[in-house]
Amino acid sequence: MTAGPAFVAGATIEIEDVSKWFGQKVAVSDLSCSFGPGLTGLLGPNGAGKTTLLRMMCGLLRPSDGSLQVLGVDPRRDPNVYRRLALVPEEDAVYGILTAREYLEFAADLTGVPRERVDEAIAQVDLAAAADRPISGYSKGMRQRAKVAAALVTRPDVLILDEPLNGTDPIQRAHLIALFRRLASEGKTVIVSSHVLSEVERMADRVLAMVDGRLAAAGDVAAIRRAMADIPYLVRVEVAEPRRIASALLAEEVVGSVRLTGAQLHVETTDLAALGAILPRLAASAGARLSGFEPEDESLESVFRYLVRRR
Amino acid sequence: MRGFFAITRVTLRQLLGGKRLILFGLLALLPPVVMWFSSANLAESSVSDAFNEAPIAIVFLIVLPVVALVLGAGSLGDERRDATLSFLLLRPLPRSLVAGAKLWSAWLATTGIVGTSAGLAAAVVGVRAGDWAYLVPVLVGVAVAALAYCSVFMLLGYFSSRAVLIGLVYVFIWENGISAASAALANVSLWRIGVSAYVGLAPGPISGIDDVLGSVAPGAGGAIAKALVIAALVIAATGSLLRRRDLT
Repeated sequence: MTAGPAFVAGATIEIEDVSKWFGQKVAVSDLSCSFGPGLTGLLGPNGAGKTTLLRMMCGLLRPSDGSLQVLGVDPRRDPNVYRRLALVPEEDAVYGILTAREYLEFAADLTGVPRERVDEAIAQVDLAAAADRPISGYSKGMRQRAKVAAALVTRPDVLILDEPLNGTDPIQRAHLIALFRRLASEGKTVIVSSHVLSEVERMADRVLAMVDGRLAAAGDVAAIRRAMADIPYLVRVEVAEPRRIASALLAEEVVGSVRLTGAQLHVETTDLAALGAILPRLAASAGARLSGFEPEDESLESVFRYLVRRR
Repeated sequence: MRGFFAITRVTLRQLLGGKRLILFGLLALLPPVVMWFSSANLAESSVSDAFNEAPIAIVFLIVLPVVALVLGAGSLGDERRDATLSFLLLRPLPRSLVAGAKLWSAWLATTGIVGTSAGLAAAVVGVRAGDWAYLVPVLVGVAVAALAYCSVFMLLGYFSSRAVLIGLVYVFIWENGISAASAALANVSLWRIGVSAYVGLAPGPISGIDDVLGSVAPGAGGAIAKALVIAALVIAATGSLLRRRDLT
């Protein structure tokens, strides 16, 4: 496989030039990367193509182009791979009529593993107290934990989790993150997708960031942070005498561009803090009152879009 | 086979849970109740004729298609609707085994409900006239027709979220009207498969329900063979679709 931060040695999942489109919509575009033992975070805004990629890894979707191998085989051709691969899907794929214990026994029966593992899996997700209640009465967080337990009952070598922390409270979240980290430290390949950077930051040493179906960044969390450090920010400034302030701003090194709309300035800067220090000084020297200073777009999506454009 | 029986257990609970069983129970009461009242003042020699009129028609032409449609379509359709299909498919099991277990479950549930209904109606003949010869034929007819119906409706349920509506149109417009007009279509009509098995096994000449057959020759062997071929084709096709189609 290719070298680079998107690839790892000893990969358990290898993805090569994979694309997936649904009609005219491209969900994943020419993506190559690999995953190995340890915890990898798959980060990206909603609609970035994370779920499509994960479902292709599990063999639920066929790549439109490219190739993909999990544990050395194409998961769409060899169902035996599911003895070692498990998915925790984002959607509520649970049987409401079953109790959590019955749900896990069902998973064990389908995979051909001993039912004795059920209690252990229930304990791992801290669901013992509710294990004999129908899942239909569970909260979102409890359903998430039941889904994780159903994956764990098969003791997979590769565990793929699609937004597993959705709906969990802070205590459940901390518990699940600790569980994922422990599984990773035992040599399992654990892939966790999320659209929340801070969430991924807490658990994953390695991160792949996706946007618009493409790989935006890859590497350790520090590298992703560094890549994000020089992103230009767009700031809306409300000030009296905007034309005079705009001219003065353009002379500043940290200012990339300035656009005037009505009484507002839209300033592009690579250093938000420096701009925050400069603006009051310029306003004071011009005798103009500064009434507003607000970043216009600092969503994760805009950050990732920038990273994709820069690649 | 552990996976097969696990799918069967859970599917039966899905199919027969909640209000569905109550509604089907009420529907299933119709043939024995109609039989009971329609034979109340008849001479013993006329009871079996009454059985082969309204009650048997209600079993084969209304109760069986409706129950098989809802349960057959629900066997895979419910999994698709509830997004639990991936839970079944991400297992080291052949996809045709998943399809087979789903069909087996739908058939068991349909035959159980409609067989009880038809069996009770036939039992009225036994109680009123001492003639129990219709019991086994009607149970065989129900089982054979349920297999054919559940097979087709399972595939329909996998393809469409409006399977019940499409199925009703099929049963009451296509089967009742269009296929009756053509001998070739009548030979592959699901409606006529069960009736053909029943008429083929039932004692003596039967009047009433045999009109439904039209040009189709009655016979249990042919009906069973047709139903088994339909089931085998549907299992193979569904297994192939579960393997090939994207699960979004």
